[in-house]
Amino acid sequence: MAVAASPKRVKSVGNERLREALVGYAFILIPMGIFGLFFIYPMVYAFYVSAHEWGGLTGNAGFVGLDNYRELWGDKQFWDWPPRFHSATALWNTFYYALLVVPLQMALGLTVAVVVNNLLHARTFFRSAFYFPALTSSAAITAIAIYILNSQGLLNAGIGGVIGHDFNHPWFGDSSTALESIVGLNAWTTSGTMMLFYLASLQAIPTDVYEAAAIDAAGTWRTFWKITFPLLKPAHFFVAVVSVIGALKIFDQAFIISGGNGGPAGSTLTAVLYLYQVTIGEFNYGYGATVGVALFLIIFSLTLIQRLLFGKAEIGY
Amino acid sequence: MATRGSDEIPPPHLAGVGELAAGEQPAIGTAVPDVPGRRRAEVIRRVVLYSVLVALALLYFVPFFYTVLTSLKTEAEGLQGFKLFPDNPSLHAYRELFSNDSLPFATFFRNSLFLAGTIAVLEVIFCSLGGYAFARLRFPGREVLFMLVLATLMIPDQLRLVPVFLMLTDFPVTHWNLTQTFRGYILINIVTAANLFLMRQYFLTIPKDYEEAAKLDGAGYFKTYWRIMLPLAVPALAAVAILAFQGIWNDFFWALIILGLGDSSHLTVQLALSQFVGFYQGNWPALMAAATLAIAPVVVVYVFFQRYFVAGITSAGVKG
Repeated sequence: MAVAASPKRVKSVGNERLREALVGYAFILIPMGIFGLFFIYPMVYAFYVSAHEWGGLTGNAGFVGLDNYRELWGDKQFWDWPPRFHSATALWNTFYYALLVVPLQMALGLTVAVVVNNLLHARTFFRSAFYFPALTSSAAITAIAIYILNSQGLLNAGIGGVIGHDFNHPWFGDSSTALESIVGLNAWTTSGTMMLFYLASLQAIPTDVYEAAAIDAAGTWRTFWKITFPLLKPAHFFVAVVSVIGALKIFDQAFIISGGNGGPAGSTLTAVLYLYQVTIGEFNYGYGATVGVALFLIIFSLTLIQRLLFGKAEIGY
Repeated sequence: MATRGSDEIPPPHLAGVGELAAGEQPAIGTAVPDVPGRRRAEVIRRVVLYSVLVALALLYFVPFFYTVLTSLKTEAEGLQGFKLFPDNPSLHAYRELFSNDSLPFATFFRNSLFLAGTIAVLEVIFCSLGGYAFARLRFPGREVLFMLVLATLMIPDQLRLVPVFLMLTDFPVTHWNLTQTFRGYILINIVTAANLFLMRQYFLTIPKDYEEAAKLDGAGYFKTYWRIMLPLAVPALAAVAILAFQGIWNDFFWALIILGLGDSSHLTVQLALSQFVGFYQGNWPALMAAATLAIAPVVVVYVFFQRYFVAGITSAGVKG
């Protein structure tokens, strides 16, 4: 090959650059097209639709400015002031659900992760096994829960056995326990995913920290609370963010146990179920888009607040 | 660490991709050095540990175990209150599911398999193409576009519901109505940012030497991608295929919006289940047979490829 760079060679380098760029654009053409069409454009379009009167039969019936947002502000089915739980309002039902399910699934996920991480044998087996519920579909899990939590079901039989007489509580059929039952169900299914995140972080803690603790004769319990738990701070943050976002989107289970109506007595009317009812049930696209925008803003600002509270998740020990 | 959008939630670390690359389970280091005089404490610790393990195992498995057992009972047996084992295990409930003409389970199962299989293949193709371009090819605007891809992870499905539904009802320019069609459902699921990200991270772990060698041999960009890089990225491709299959097989929200509003010919297994809850009220064995079949394909995939699942989930964040 020629050592001296000839003008021709310089030109071919330039061509090569152009070729590489063109190939790059060709490779990302379809993925970016999909992201643009079904993610980025809809984000703008949602705000546009929310500023219009837009129904299923009428189509776009004109610009109404912030009218839809004003209606949402006064919508007692969506939210009410002061906040009351068990009041059949979509937003407070959702917050109440998140408030219960997030700590529960984090605690369960962490417990399982710590147990699996301390096993001497069959760690991989148990890791896979405990992840199992997280793998199954929400619809199948909900059907199973409807069976196990029905008034003659396995759970009541178990409780009856413990307390010594028949116990026949319809967990999903009673408005005072329907949403709480979904909490239990989802804390259980989601904990597998939380376990994986915690396990990944547990394994990243260097063993010399534990060696130092053992030399100082710190007990197991103390070692966990004084060393492991604080060192997992980045994982706590990550898992909390993921859990909160997931909890606010609760829909499938509420839809299936109530047949889409949010019952009994509005107790499982979640924010996304309300969005579904407005959009698909009532063909009110303008108002549905408004509910969607409101949910987006709530999820987005909660993520920011969490980030401010916990600080940015930095890795490093 | 590689560039990353400031709004995106960073995974705790990228052990997942590392695990895929290593091809083996990472060793889990928890060994506590043996200190004399602590044997008794260690024994107590073990007893507590294994008691908790047994309790957790019961909590995690009994519901599934019970589901399968119930699916083998007769309808009358299912109503006898608490009863673990069927007297005469039979496949009666499964036959009932498949012989129901108004809610034909075989059709739903085929629909779900078709959608999950097709989308898994498409996601492998387009996430690997995009992931490779963002990892290796240099072109103006690459970083900005990649930020845009990651930013889509922050857009909740709920915000997209109305716009995407309206677009599918009356598709821009062509005016197609893509609701109640598999085309529409497949179209919005061709790529996901999480899987594209996973592919990009994996390609970044492959040494550049391979591509340089290919270039010296005169291979073009596409040939390098197709013949050199894809074979090296098989573990990540498997992870993407499996995550996509599972995600679509289990999907409820978008399936309901796009396929669930017309007649039952386009229902998926999961949508059918939500109707079975009402239809098979009191017929627990039939409902549990449906639940078992709705879980089975993912379990089969999981049993054979669980390493890819775990790695994919811990590296690319959460799906669904």
